[in-house]
Amino acid sequence: MRIRVFVGTGGVGKTSVAAASALRGALAGERALVLTIDPARRLRTALGIESEGFQQQLSLDAFGGGRMPGELWAAQLDVAASLNRAVRQTSTPKQAEAVLAHPIYHVLLESLAGMQELMAVERMDQAIDDGFEALYVDTAPSRHALEFVDKPETFSHLISFPMVRLVGATYHWWERSGLASLGRKSLELYTRVEEMLGATLTRQILDFFSIFRGIAEDYAVRARRTVALLRDPQVTTFTVVTTPFKARRDGDFFCDELGRRQFPVGAMVVNRVWPVLPTSGAALSPQMQQVAGWYQDTSEAHRRAGDQVRGAFAERIPTLVEIPELPADVDGLAALHRLAAHL
Amino acid sequence: MLPPLRHPLTIFCGKGGVGKTTLAVAHALGYARQGKRALVVTSHPLPELAVSLSLAGLKEKAPQAAASLFVIHIDPRELLQRAVRQHIPSQALAGAVVSSRIYQSLIEVAPGLKEIVFLERLREFAVRQAAPEDAGGYDLVVWDAPATGHFLQTLNVSRHFKLYLSGPFAALGRNVARFFSDPANLALFPVTTLEEMAVEETAELVHKLAELEMRPRAVVCNMTSPALAGTATKGIAAEGILLPAGADDPGLRFILDRLVVERALFERLRSEISVSATAVERRHRAGTDLDLLLELSERMGEMLES
Repeated sequence: MRIRVFVGTGGVGKTSVAAASALRGALAGERALVLTIDPARRLRTALGIESEGFQQQLSLDAFGGGRMPGELWAAQLDVAASLNRAVRQTSTPKQAEAVLAHPIYHVLLESLAGMQELMAVERMDQAIDDGFEALYVDTAPSRHALEFVDKPETFSHLISFPMVRLVGATYHWWERSGLASLGRKSLELYTRVEEMLGATLTRQILDFFSIFRGIAEDYAVRARRTVALLRDPQVTTFTVVTTPFKARRDGDFFCDELGRRQFPVGAMVVNRVWPVLPTSGAALSPQMQQVAGWYQDTSEAHRRAGDQVRGAFAERIPTLVEIPELPADVDGLAALHRLAAHL
Repeated sequence: MLPPLRHPLTIFCGKGGVGKTTLAVAHALGYARQGKRALVVTSHPLPELAVSLSLAGLKEKAPQAAASLFVIHIDPRELLQRAVRQHIPSQALAGAVVSSRIYQSLIEVAPGLKEIVFLERLREFAVRQAAPEDAGGYDLVVWDAPATGHFLQTLNVSRHFKLYLSGPFAALGRNVARFFSDPANLALFPVTTLEEMAVEETAELVHKLAELEMRPRAVVCNMTSPALAGTATKGIAAEGILLPAGADDPGLRFILDRLVVERALFERLRSEISVSATAVERRHRAGTDLDLLLELSERMGEMLES
């Protein structure tokens, strides 16, 4: 089992790099799954994800060349679908109905930002069950990319509250009998929290988590297992994807954040490096000369940034890779294959 | 009725990594250089660090601007804590509440709570405009907004505060909803780079803002080449540039490819949104980050006012 997690800020081509790595893995014989989070439409087309299906296999016929390739599968993290399925699978029909109809459930679903992180870990667990040998995981494009491991931990804390357990037992948790069994101190504390956040909201949240508890406990167990795999350097490597001008800042940031959580940083991919190419003195208009000068300056600046990055991270990150800017946007498996050649 | 704001709350939003923070700071810096008190509120702690690095030396170079420019990061968790401490007279009890696990976990999962508190603080800054009798006010408040998804979610929360049916935060929700529903209070500038995914996301953002009845003043295309933004090169269209006959020049080939891609994305963006789009060229030659920022602040002043 091998897991590669791609982290980085937005707009650096993280999804393309993840997909290209998966393609490369598959061509080397792996049964690989690339798990993307809400890819742009174009890339979805590139990967051949046409339907809203759970996961789908992509044809490697174009690259076979007589060798025995593995398999390439692509899946998109659909929060609502995964969560609904998890609810139905892990609870009685009556329970599932109560959860699915609960107002807080819908609010949670709407705040996708929160749920995506929770579901990424869940979805990885399903993929492991499905027998994939290699997972290529594209994380949410944000500086808070690591919330996908932090959120499950907050979540498992929440469901272990005495309050939530109690609620689950009585169902009508606000009844005197239930609350009376709380210590006086906890009761006072709880009353204050309720005063601050509003009774309706607090009760709805607790009520929801009480119904949701069985599902959530199950989830928490699996999430802990998956997070433990992510910490195992034999299984997982994290790859930081960045672009030349962001490389220094992103590299420092993700090395710190990953290190703090004891996750292994395996590689940094500096994407979209402009090549320094000779431009002949072909007769150009003054305006065009200015434009050409600007491009050469940018290419030079990319090269200097690359040198700096190699110096700064040689000790901390085992593998540093540069990928040149491709002439057009990455579109289609063939383009991903070209990208993969640089990895 | 309150009088209209002299300067609306200025918002730079858009995809991650397109330069929102830099543009927000440069815009505020332009005001600060004229001696106006300008505040940048950022939602994320990391850019603040980067900002303070690029502002190093401002005091020597432009003392007046340094005295009038403020960059702060607001952590909604701290605001919530302050609210709890104000609401509960016993500090020991307030301390126990905010450090309790149930409180901490509830505020993490309570949908929209952190957003409401954040927006309320922003509103307070925006309405408290500089006046002779109020030395703490600002002439300009700029919000360096979080990346698109979280930004839209935050705005949505301001419209659906009714989820908070009780509790002290429901009152905040009403203030926030009123303020953020009035277009006169806001000057929105979605920022994008001319890259496929960024352009796609920006067009979607503009459409979603329209659903919230919010219309951006302009979309800012950041870090373009001079062929798109530069005044000296006005009129250069990529399709009008031809490789000299017989020339096999990889450098020029690369440049022309990039120009075609950039121009096509710019046209595509313009055709998909009914908002004007303006280009900000990436500059190289200036020395330090601060020089770049000062130079950018001059360009932005003219651009966004027009």
